[in-house]
Amino acid sequence: MLNRLHQNKPAKTVLALAAAAMIMTACGQNADNGNASANGEASANAGTNANGQAAGNEAGTNAAAGNGSGNTTGASASEESVDALYAKAKEEGKVIVYSTSGRANDAAETFMKQYPGIKVEVSKVKSDEMMDKVMKEQDAGQFNPDVIVTKEVSGAVEEEMVKPGRYIKYLPEDIAPKVDEPYRTQAEAYANYVEFRTIFYNAKHYEKAPVSNWWDLTTPEFKGKVYTADPLSSPAFMDLFTTMVTNSDDMAAAYKEKFGKDIELHGTENAGYEYIQELFDNGLIVLKGSDDVLDAIGKADSEAVGLAVSGDVSKNEENGWTIQPIYDIKPKTAVPDAGYFFLANKAPHEAGAKLFIRWMMGETDAKGAGLDPFNEVGSWVPRSDVQTKNDISFESLNLWPFDGEALYNAAPKVRDFWIKQK
Amino acid sequence: MAKVTAPISQRPRWQNIILNRLRNPVHLIGAAALLFLSYMVIWPVLRIAWSTFIWRRQDMRLTGEADPGHFTLYHWIRVLASDMSYSLFYKPLLNSLAVGATVSVLSMAIGCGLAWLVTRTDIPLKRTISFLAVIPYLLPAWILSQAWLTFFKNGKIGGTPGILQSLLHVSMPDWLSYGFVPIVISLSIHDSVFFFLIVGAALSSMNSQLEEAASVAGASRLTILRRIVMPLVLPSILSGFILIFTKAISSYGVPALLGTPVNFYMISTMLYSSMRSRLTTEANVLSLTLMLISMLAIYVNHRAIGRRKSFVTVTGKGSARTLTPLGSWKYPVATLASLGMAMVAVVPLLVLLAQSFMLKEGTYSLSNFTTHYWWGGSDPAINTGEKGAMQNPIFTLALKNSLAIAGIAAIAAAVVGVALGYVVARGRLSWLGRAVDQASFLPYLIPGISLAALYISIFAKPTFFLPALYGTMTLLILITVVKELPFTVKAGSASMLQIGTELEEAAQISGASWLTRFRRILLPLNRKNLVSMFLLVFIGAMKEMELIILLVTPRTETLTTLTFYYAEKGYEQLTNVILMIIIFIVMAVYAAAVKFGKADLTQGIGGQ
Repeated sequence: MLNRLHQNKPAKTVLALAAAAMIMTACGQNADNGNASANGEASANAGTNANGQAAGNEAGTNAAAGNGSGNTTGASASEESVDALYAKAKEEGKVIVYSTSGRANDAAETFMKQYPGIKVEVSKVKSDEMMDKVMKEQDAGQFNPDVIVTKEVSGAVEEEMVKPGRYIKYLPEDIAPKVDEPYRTQAEAYANYVEFRTIFYNAKHYEKAPVSNWWDLTTPEFKGKVYTADPLSSPAFMDLFTTMVTNSDDMAAAYKEKFGKDIELHGTENAGYEYIQELFDNGLIVLKGSDDVLDAIGKADSEAVGLAVSGDVSKNEENGWTIQPIYDIKPKTAVPDAGYFFLANKAPHEAGAKLFIRWMMGETDAKGAGLDPFNEVGSWVPRSDVQTKNDISFESLNLWPFDGEALYNAAPKVRDFWIKQK
Repeated sequence: MAKVTAPISQRPRWQNIILNRLRNPVHLIGAAALLFLSYMVIWPVLRIAWSTFIWRRQDMRLTGEADPGHFTLYHWIRVLASDMSYSLFYKPLLNSLAVGATVSVLSMAIGCGLAWLVTRTDIPLKRTISFLAVIPYLLPAWILSQAWLTFFKNGKIGGTPGILQSLLHVSMPDWLSYGFVPIVISLSIHDSVFFFLIVGAALSSMNSQLEEAASVAGASRLTILRRIVMPLVLPSILSGFILIFTKAISSYGVPALLGTPVNFYMISTMLYSSMRSRLTTEANVLSLTLMLISMLAIYVNHRAIGRRKSFVTVTGKGSARTLTPLGSWKYPVATLASLGMAMVAVVPLLVLLAQSFMLKEGTYSLSNFTTHYWWGGSDPAINTGEKGAMQNPIFTLALKNSLAIAGIAAIAAAVVGVALGYVVARGRLSWLGRAVDQASFLPYLIPGISLAALYISIFAKPTFFLPALYGTMTLLILITVVKELPFTVKAGSASMLQIGTELEEAAQISGASWLTRFRRILLPLNRKNLVSMFLLVFIGAMKEMELIILLVTPRTETLTTLTFYYAEKGYEQLTNVILMIIIFIVMAVYAAAVKFGKADLTQGIGGQ
């Protein structure tokens, strides 16, 4: 009998487990359905993309319309005035920020001093991971972030997030007139700072920039002396090369200017691809990241040059580098890599979000301390009323326009070409 | 109930069979485990697999044929049989396989060698050696590769020349500086601790009467090693082998740093690239190929172990243990072992520590000493006013979260590991055991980012009795437990294989329920293993970044997400400070585990 009593225990366990199993399977089905419906929503989203886009555009045109009248009316948007926003934001209590850049954390600190009663929480996420995170959250009906600070990923942010209405463009009416194009109306959103990839050299070794044309890097002088961060793992670097491919006529013209003859293609499609191939033939060395490139040319005396982000010049002292970026290269120096601001779709703390974005923009007069982390050496704030810390102004930078759609569609092909060079 | 109380002899045979099945804990736990794994692992993998056959909107970038939502084989053809395949798949695949196999062999040599010295010989400094053995795993793997570059790099990647090059005035050849060789060495040093712990536990539970008997019968020491020791620890070794193999082929940081300068790509680095370039489906295909390869490896493993009847070394009988005398080799070997380990373990650690106290990196003078990065206030001249790490407003929160996640996840992972290991070991001849074994192995091969992304969609909404876990610590703990399953289940089953069933049977006859048996017999006998599992999962969780970066919300920030922030800003010393804090915590936990968990690997099981 004693034995039997003990055997009862497993029996109970069986029951419990069977129950659990049933619940679990039910739950599995439930999850199935849930996912199906989530997917359904997503595809519905894709289907009504046009609508979303239209809505986005509407918002855009609203802002644009606002610009038109914005000069005359500062008070018309009383709802959006700082005081009104602050009052509402205090009720909301906090702002959730997803940011690719630590600059948002710095701005958050000054913001919380300026506007007590609102807590800003910043999550730092890489741009592509942020897309996944927000997409999955929204598909599951969770709307967590309020503010999005992100870089582009070869146009994917615009195609996959902005057009379907997951990230929403926001530019306050009173600030819009002071914003430089393309970031006022043409680009996917307002960008608070613009960086780009360019060629760096060691200022101890060279008195002046050793390169003035991208084709210089394919000459024997630089054989085995050109570094780049791996475009396979950092899409922003690939964007530069993809832009050269989509603007291959510029590259061909620069070739003629450099060598005095028309470019001869060796089995490639155009001058952009030819450039990549010649870089590899000239012993291009690929390193893991931008910092590795600057370590390579900046840590000790070096005649090598390397591709890195313009904003890295501000890390010169901390890292013991003696590097300088080149801001004038033919045919164009680079393609902009902008740090965009968005409101997230269905932001739970919308007033606070708008207030925080305004703060990071430096508010109406661009004097607010929130702008400081963005206005650094090597990055440009595209506002006409902001004094840049660089020797060269944003308008006089010779950059290719960022064509998100063209990049989005051309990037995989250029990536394939790059992989095949290995 | 009436049926249960009926005399056994009157029960029909089929009922007996069913009742026996149901009462058998292997089936019970096995069923529960399979349910758990289905939901947490298999279901996500199936979703990944399914996605590779469906066009997505993204694919219109690749080809005009793309028709979103419809079936296609395009992705598989692109990876396996197109003009891209060689560069995109086959070459990286060969590199992955070569690295995986070599790392496994090398870590086996290092790990088993050390384990044997520490558990079976009379070598002095045992405690020191086993303590040092864990340290390389405390460091992030990329630190070891960085250290390698500091010594061996040549002019190719510029910067300050490597130490050997400046001393010897000879340029190191590329093959020694970058690519295959350093990747294999860094990974082996980092991961050999798994072998050390798994095989060490197996060796220390082995009854040395077996060796003595052979010795008496006139077998030479080599014969004993080959014919007795090896077969007994073979399951542990094979487990370790597969574990290290999958860890190596899925590692990213080390091959990225050491491989790119010489265009040495592995599937893992290609996969990362696809992911970052928003070619998600391509990434999914690549990770599925890794999964298929490992499943093949596990199948082979099963064939190897399945043929043998038993590896029982822990029986009810007393087990005396005599140690192999090393004789005159004793001290040279001890010195060599501890010096070698100090080189790879302590030196990088000290360099890191020193750097966290240096105002300017690389300037070795007393005036350059500062505690600013630890607890200094804001100073506009340093890091544009960034405060010391411990002054960071979220430091306390991050520390608390890290400890909670790592602590709870490590305990849960150890218990789950033993329970599932039990199923795998006892049910290794049934489909249930094999299914659990196979499924528990997948998490290493699902890229952390993909798994996390799927968990957002699975856990963002409440599903039946499970609340919405997204945004809570529970989900972070859960995913950590799942991600470490390959190790915990392997370690659990390897040690269960050694525990004879007669101990359990004896208890069962005296009426102990399975839970009692588990608690009173299996857990104590597995104690050392439990503590090893706890320790490694704890370390892994403290270091984990990729897995949780998608799942953290501001409330669930951890120490590693803090380092992510610092690293992006280029604040190297601050990153090092956090790293040192993590390492201190882990060492303290390790010391506590040794002291209170009596998990000293130099003592045999039941030797307290």
